[in-house]
Amino acid sequence: MVELDKVKRKLGPGVTFFCNHFHAAAGSRMALWGPSGCGKSTMLNLISGLLRPDSGVIRIDGKEIQKVSESGLDAYRAERMGFVFQTFNLLAPFTVLQNVILGMRFADVIPEKEWKPRSLAMLERVGLAHRLKSKPGTLSVGERQRVAIARALANNPKLIVADEPTGSLDPKTADAVMTLLLELCEQEQVTLLLVTHDKGIADRLPETFDCSGLVEEATS
Amino acid sequence: MSLWHIAWSYLWNRKLTTALTVVSVALGVSLISAVLTLRDETQRRFEEEGQAFDIVVGAKGNPLQLVLSTVYFLDAPTGNMDFEIFETLKGHEDVVAAFPIGMGDSYGGYRIIGTTRDLMDFSYGERAPYALASGRYFEAPFEAVVGANVAQDTGLKMGDTFVGTHGLVNSASAEVHDDFPYTVVGILERSGSPNDRGIFCDLQSVWNAHDHGHGEEHGEEGHHHGEEITAALIKLASPALRAEFKDGVNRTSNAMAAVPIWEIQKLYEQLLGTAKLVLLAIGYLVVAISALSILIGLYMAILQRKRDLAIMRALGATRGEIFGAVIIEAFWVSLLGIVLGWFLGASVCAALNSYLVAQIGFHVPPVRLSADLVAAYSAVLLMGLLAGILPAWQAYRTNVARDLAEL
Repeated sequence: MVELDKVKRKLGPGVTFFCNHFHAAAGSRMALWGPSGCGKSTMLNLISGLLRPDSGVIRIDGKEIQKVSESGLDAYRAERMGFVFQTFNLLAPFTVLQNVILGMRFADVIPEKEWKPRSLAMLERVGLAHRLKSKPGTLSVGERQRVAIARALANNPKLIVADEPTGSLDPKTADAVMTLLLELCEQEQVTLLLVTHDKGIADRLPETFDCSGLVEEATS
Repeated sequence: MSLWHIAWSYLWNRKLTTALTVVSVALGVSLISAVLTLRDETQRRFEEEGQAFDIVVGAKGNPLQLVLSTVYFLDAPTGNMDFEIFETLKGHEDVVAAFPIGMGDSYGGYRIIGTTRDLMDFSYGERAPYALASGRYFEAPFEAVVGANVAQDTGLKMGDTFVGTHGLVNSASAEVHDDFPYTVVGILERSGSPNDRGIFCDLQSVWNAHDHGHGEEHGEEGHHHGEEITAALIKLASPALRAEFKDGVNRTSNAMAAVPIWEIQKLYEQLLGTAKLVLLAIGYLVVAISALSILIGLYMAILQRKRDLAIMRALGATRGEIFGAVIIEAFWVSLLGIVLGWFLGASVCAALNSYLVAQIGFHVPPVRLSADLVAAYSAVLLMGLLAGILPAWQAYRTNVARDLAEL
């Protein structure tokens, strides 16, 4: 499903990301674990096409995405990926329902007539059917992350990339959100790559990739 | 969910800023709407007055002065001409109506106009500027019919008497014709025409008043002044005859003929045309400043919204969609500004209408979507869209990875 081979990316003067090899099979749920600054978020950005490698190969479902054009990457993200961020990244002017619909609207993968019923179903599954018309600012942090999860899954993606999804949550809420995310990814047969610096969170996933040492700083 | 809806949601999310920007656009648009409406109406009214008579004949001098003094009661007359000339002109085959005008005295700053009774029945277009509000028309010498402004300013009422002073301006040293008091027998309805500022009487009254005073003073025969008039207002069988008739009078008589509408159009273009341009320029300047405020408002909003734009891009929005959404925001602000400006302009015109109708009888029509206004509104919309390009470009260049990483 996801494969990195000798991927290099310069991050700043004397700072370089390098991943010799990485592989995640389809349907796997893997934690990209490591301390802050080790390069795990950079790796996620490279996989999602938000960053381009200077060299090496990033292969997803057999396709080398470093060769894909900018607009091709837009379509690739929209069609195949769902994002869950640490800071939720919901769009403040829109309601809970609209936030979920927006994911499908931009991706344009799901037929328009299914946007609303599918969004309603996803929000039902994350337990937010009663907050459809609420704006993100009125939700608790746990509710916001649940909306983000619903938005990420509504588009029927092949791959979910989650960057510290529990980083802004208290332990109890984090636990609940993790349970929900893992359950949904299993039910939907979606590959999950989850970045975390928290060993406890990483241990909840069947697989872990240790990101320590991905970023190298040149010594002068 | 369309881009229009998305753009609208972002505008709604910052209501106050959006409202202030819309109001600034609306102010410029309202100014343009009001100026164009007033310009059209002023020109129409001015030209309507000018069209009332085809030809004005008076003493030789400046044709514009002749027109202003006899049609608009605004300037000093060019002098006097023999009454015989009027009688000759009246008998001309192309003339359907001719009215003598004799001026020389005034009351309270308003000029006393001696003419014939049939002028009071004259109407043009849809207007009857000599319609009575009360009383009747003059039937004998020294009976006066006063305009609405005269009645209002001087307090003259039906049955009141007054005496004229020599000259057409209010002067304390002017000679007063004490022996020839006028009696008010009628008050004209307010028409918004120069007649609101006139005091009308039989021509014989003017002659008599001047026979008395000046005949003795100059030791001349009284009837000498009685045979002179200030001007003649002439209606021809067709406006097409104006040039020929005017040339004929100028060539064959000792008087000067002028076509009021031609003189007025020249004056309008020279004087009011410039004023109109200045007001329009101010209107467009306000709109240009408004466009700048659209630009600044949107640019600041885009800076604050970089993360949202990055999220949309991560969700699959293309650069074109992001660009389009910001341009649509500029469109919404401009459109709302135009609509609000139209209402503001209409309100200003309505307020001006109630004030000016009461004061001078000048009717200001409601703001209509004339070709000029549509062109002006289109220009405002275009300016708004142009103002949106820079912020839209800024949004277009969103760096998704960097903007998502920046907290």
